[in-house]
Formats: sequence, C-alpha cells, structure tokens
Amino acid sequence: MHRRVGILAVLLVVPGCTLNTPDAHQGTTIEVAVFEGGYGLDWHRSVARRYEKEHPGVRVNLWGDPRVDEKLKPRILRRDPPDLASAGLPVWKLIVAGKLYPLDEALDSPAYGQPRLTWRETLAPGVLGDFRFRGKTYAAPTSLGAWVCWYDKRQFRKHRWAAPRTWGEFTRLCDKIKASGVAPLAFQGKYPGYAWATLLSLYQRLVPFERWYAMQDLRPGAFLDPDFITAARMMQEMAVRHFEPGAMAMTHTESQLEWVNGRAAMVFCGLWLKNEMKNAIPEGFEMACFPVPLVEGGKGDPRAVYGGGAESFFVFSDAKHPREGADFLKYLLSLQSAQSYTMRLDSLSAVRDSTAGLAISPELRSAVDVLGGSSRIFQDRIGMLYLEFGANVLQDAQADLISGRITPEEFARRLEAGAQATRRNPDIYKPAPMGVPDLR
Amino acid sequence: MSGSAGASPSRGRRRRDAGRRLFIATFIGPPLLLYAVFVLLPAVNAFRYSLTRWDGLGEPAWVGLGNFGAILASGSEFLPAIRHNLFLTFVPGVITLSLALFFAYTIHQRVAGARLFRVAFFFPNVISGVAVALLWILIYSTTDVGMLNNLLKAMGRHEPIAFTESGNLLWAIVPMSVWSATGFFMILFLAAMENIPETYYEAARLDGASAAGQFRHITLPLMWDVLTTGVVFLVVGGLKFFDAIYVMENGRPSKATHTMSTLLYSKVFQEYNIGYGTAISVMLFLLVLGATFLSLRLMRRERLEY
Repeated sequence: MHRRVGILAVLLVVPGCTLNTPDAHQGTTIEVAVFEGGYGLDWHRSVARRYEKEHPGVRVNLWGDPRVDEKLKPRILRRDPPDLASAGLPVWKLIVAGKLYPLDEALDSPAYGQPRLTWRETLAPGVLGDFRFRGKTYAAPTSLGAWVCWYDKRQFRKHRWAAPRTWGEFTRLCDKIKASGVAPLAFQGKYPGYAWATLLSLYQRLVPFERWYAMQDLRPGAFLDPDFITAARMMQEMAVRHFEPGAMAMTHTESQLEWVNGRAAMVFCGLWLKNEMKNAIPEGFEMACFPVPLVEGGKGDPRAVYGGGAESFFVFSDAKHPREGADFLKYLLSLQSAQSYTMRLDSLSAVRDSTAGLAISPELRSAVDVLGGSSRIFQDRIGMLYLEFGANVLQDAQADLISGRITPEEFARRLEAGAQATRRNPDIYKPAPMGVPDLR
Repeated sequence: MSGSAGASPSRGRRRRDAGRRLFIATFIGPPLLLYAVFVLLPAVNAFRYSLTRWDGLGEPAWVGLGNFGAILASGSEFLPAIRHNLFLTFVPGVITLSLALFFAYTIHQRVAGARLFRVAFFFPNVISGVAVALLWILIYSTTDVGMLNNLLKAMGRHEPIAFTESGNLLWAIVPMSVWSATGFFMILFLAAMENIPETYYEAARLDGASAAGQFRHITLPLMWDVLTTGVVFLVVGGLKFFDAIYVMENGRPSKATHTMSTLLYSKVFQEYNIGYGTAISVMLFLLVLGATFLSLRLMRRERLEY
C-alpha cells in the first residue's frame, strides 16, 4: 500500500518538476498578445518561431494590435485572457486584483542559454523592482530605457558646441545655440508628461536618494521640499527660455521632426526616439546623447541615470497555460533573444550585458555609454501606481508650470494637494514605502 | 342564420386587424429589439454602474449616490467641464446660427452664384468631425506647415501662436466649429425659407415693407419651428462635444479643455474609474434632456399662419 502511494506521489510530482523541459509542453498553444507600437511585431514573431522549433509540439499564437488593451479588457472580465501579454493596461490594478500570475518560479529557474544562472540573475539590476507585490514579481520588461538628451553630433561639430556635463554648461550652451538662430530645445508640448522625467532627474541631482524615494512613496510634505521647488524652477526657466516657440502646441512627432530637421538642436527623450523617427532621419545625421546634466552644488548622485525597464510582459492568473506563458517570457528574455532584439530594433534589452560583443549602431553605443557610465538607475512609479494623480494633477500642473502660468511654488502645492488626496483615498492601493531600493 | 351572417364580417375584421397588427409588429419588432438590446439595456446598466465603485477588473462595490456627490463636489473636474460645454454651445452656436440665417437669406434672395455658395457652404458638413479637427490642426500648426502662423509670419509676427495649446484650444475650436456647422444650418433654414409663399412678400412690398421688415415679420415667424429645431441641435451637439477636443488634445485632454464627454471617456478608459465615469454619463444624459426641454420651452411661440 505504502509503495503504491509512493509511486503515485512520484508520478504526481515528476510532471511538475519537468514543466520547463520542452517535452512538458507537448500539444500546447500559448497565446501571446502584444501591443503593436514603434517596435512592431517582427522580433516577437521571430522569437516565437525559434521557440516552436526548440519545443516541438508547442505552438505560439502571437498576435498584436495598436489597441490591444481594448481587446484584452473584455477578455479579462470574462476570465478568458491570453497566456501572456504586453499592453498598456494598469499593471498595478491587475496585480492588486489578483489577475496576474507570479513569475518567481520561472525567475528562479535556470535561464535559457545560461544554465548556471537563474533567469532573475540574467536581468539588468532593478528592472523587476516596480512589479513586486507581497514578495512576488508579476511582470518583466523586455526593454531597458534611459532618459537622455539627444543631439546631432554633426550640427554640434559645425557650430563648435560641446555636450555639456553640468547644468551651468547646459544653460550657457542653450544661450549659444539660441544666438545662432536655432531653437535650443524641441519639446513634445501636447504631452506635458515628457517634462516629468527631466524634472525628476534634476531633483535627483539635487538630493540624496532617500529624499527622492520619499517623494515616490508620497511621504507627506515631500513635494514641498525646497529642492523639489528648485528643480521645478530650473525646469520652468529651461522651458520658458529655451523651448522652441510654439512647442506647447506640438505633438511628439512634430517636435521631434523639428529636431531631426535641425530647427531645434536638442531634445529630451527615451531610447525609443531612433525607432520613432527612423523614417525621417536625414542622411548624415549623427544622433548621440548625454545624460541630464549634473547640478552644481547638488547633493544627489551625479552618475545616476533616469531609466529602467519598459515594454513589460505579464502572465494572467486566469490564463489556460500560465506556466508555459511564463516559460515563453523567459525565452523572450534569454540572452540570444535579447541580442536579436538589440540588433533588429536598435534598442536595449532588459537582459544584463546583452550588447557585449555586438556591432551596435553609433547612436545605441552612445546610449550604452551613458548607461555604462552610470552608478545606478532610478525611475518614477507614481504615474503607474496612481493613475488619477498622474493623468490629472500631474499632467495639468506640468502644463501650467512649463507654460509659465504658475510659479514653481504653486506647482509644488498642487502636487502635494494631489498626493494628499491620493493618500486619503482608501480605494487607491498604496504599496508599503519602498525607501531606496537595493538594485543588486 | 342572421347571427352567423353578423359574426362573419366581424370575424373577418378581427382577422384583418390581427393581420395588420402582425404586419406592424414585423416591422417594429426587430428594430425595437435591437434598440432594447443595444440602447436601453446598456443605459439601464450604465445607471446601475454609476451607483458602484468599479475598476472594470474586479467586482463592483455598491456606493449609492457617492459618485454623484464626488462629481458635484467643489474642486471636481466636472464643473469646469460643464463650463467648457456651455462655452462650446453658446459661442460657436450664436455665430453659427447668425451666419447660417444670413447666408440662407442671401441665397434665398437669389444673389449671383447662389447655387455655388449653397454647395460651398455645405461642403465642410460632409467631412467627418475627426477629419475636420485634423485639418484644423494643420491650419493652426506652429511648424512650417501651419497656414495661419505662416500668414502671421508674412505679416511680420516673429513667433508662432500656439493656437492648439490647452490654454487656447477652446477659442481655437470656435472658428472650426462655425466653419463645419454653418452649411448644415444654412440648408435647414434655406429649405424653410423656400417654403414660404412668395405672395406674402409681394403683399408686404406693396405695403411698403423694407427688406429687414420682411425678414422680421414674415421670414422669421414662419420659419420659427425650424429655427427651434436648429437651436436644439446646437444645444445637444454642444453638450455632447467630444471629437475635436479628443483629437486636438491627442487623446489626453487637460482640466483646461475637458468637456463632459471627454472627461467620462478619460475616467472610464484611461483611469479605470468606471463607476465615476458612468455617473458622468448619467449626468450628461439628464443635462441634455433638461437642456432640450428648456430650449423648446424658451423658443415656444404661438404658431403663426397668414
């Protein structure tokens, strides 16, 4: 009798242990829904075909749509979601509602192509931190982003301008550029949120990380910090004095086109800029970037860079094949897939050291140098956690700040009032204060 | 015998009536069913959701009239949104009605090129609202393609005006709205004017009435019902205003530009605050209903017949 029970137990346990081996997926179809944006779907499809080859009997039904969110919402409600998705859905609402499947089992299993390391160990430091809830991880980004200032090296050479290191150098450079008849900065004015990463970077330059993350934790009074007001003032002066005239009525593509066509010399943006503007970049344009300049006298880490994971994927808890979905995500984030991501999309993957040994484009090299020279990365999560605060308070206050309609003090007061309303609203989920995250 | 002779036509009539009723039901039934499934049922559901707190992902939680209280509380985004709706109803509305009346009257007077003007003025009305907004974005653009800013530059202005920036957008929508709507109302009014018998004008002219007098005492009273319909159209359109704001703000209107419709869209589809968003839609429904009744009541006059 005991022997029979023992055999039964072994039979029950063995399939669970071998789920990550190719044979365990026999006859499975994994459904993957992807937001079809600037990066397209070609890379995702090529990885899916490779996965199918390495896992005979497994089919990956990968589809994409620019409006994938709207297609997924009714399916989430019907409890019939795909296995894996990358979409602009409110990840934290999904996590808190118990709609996502924890990835920790997969994260702690051997990585594809690097069997001595767990999948978690192969990812860039800090990219999983934004998706941790009650000790578990619920999403993994495929892309690594950074917030930098882009310029055309050829234009800079022609005018003998040099990429600045400090804020003082930056403002003097802006004056010089303006004097030459070119607008110093393009700005995506129809989306005032583009100013937020620059403002947060300036604030980081001024304060130690303890204070920066206190603001991220919505600690009472954090937005009224005099250094935050100083950062807002620097942002406002830059906008009023150096943004291209009419920028507040320009979309991201219009303003970036102004930069590509040389009517504005610089633009603050993420690493997706090259992909977004690839059809408009003229012959001979030498795209390069530098980090947000450090502020003289600032107490913040001068080598930190605003950046982190992007293009995140998550597995639904109601999915038919959550473990297989997580396994495909692990494959999407294998070193081999990451290298093909970098080469195909000219962008950085969230996999650690995935550009090593690759012949990457000069503009991506410039971004890699910025990240390579950084001490750590940091990234906002207020917009992701507190949708109403981000969509209303933050957006409106920023538009008013950079248009010069309100003072930096009033800006800070409005954000603090919004934070206070968020703190008091029992319906809004607020994670425990994160402090300064350990990125190791 | 006589009884059966009397019952026969009655039975026949009943059969005919039943057949007639079936015939009517065949035509009315399917659209009524579609209306019930796609309009009435969602409307009832919307009212139900408006009494809940729901993010569209978990289970709705009953909050009673809490959402309505939050909507009407001071500092809510709803009150500025109503103000914007009223602005977009009255400012372009008054200009549109005045211009439409003027153009209809002028064309009715058979000025040279009347047919061409009729087509030219009506043309913007056949373009969809989204396409009109995209067209005017180009006209207002602060880049090289901006027609209006290029004109201002040629006149000596150094810096472009950011017409579509949130702070200026409502005013920028006024000419666009007038341009796209005037043709429709002009045709509406023109049709009403064409129905007024010419003999009234002849009699008025014989009595020495001026052109303005004829307009005031003959044209306007006899087309009053159509004018009332036009006002109701404008009020309803103004209160439901959505597409131009949504397109010109790139899907992210701010507090300076939100109308009730864009606000409810943001709440439901961007902030996942479905209970609050549907409460806005219920308020919008009540306001449109109330404004329509109010317009009809204010415009009510004794029917005039000569």
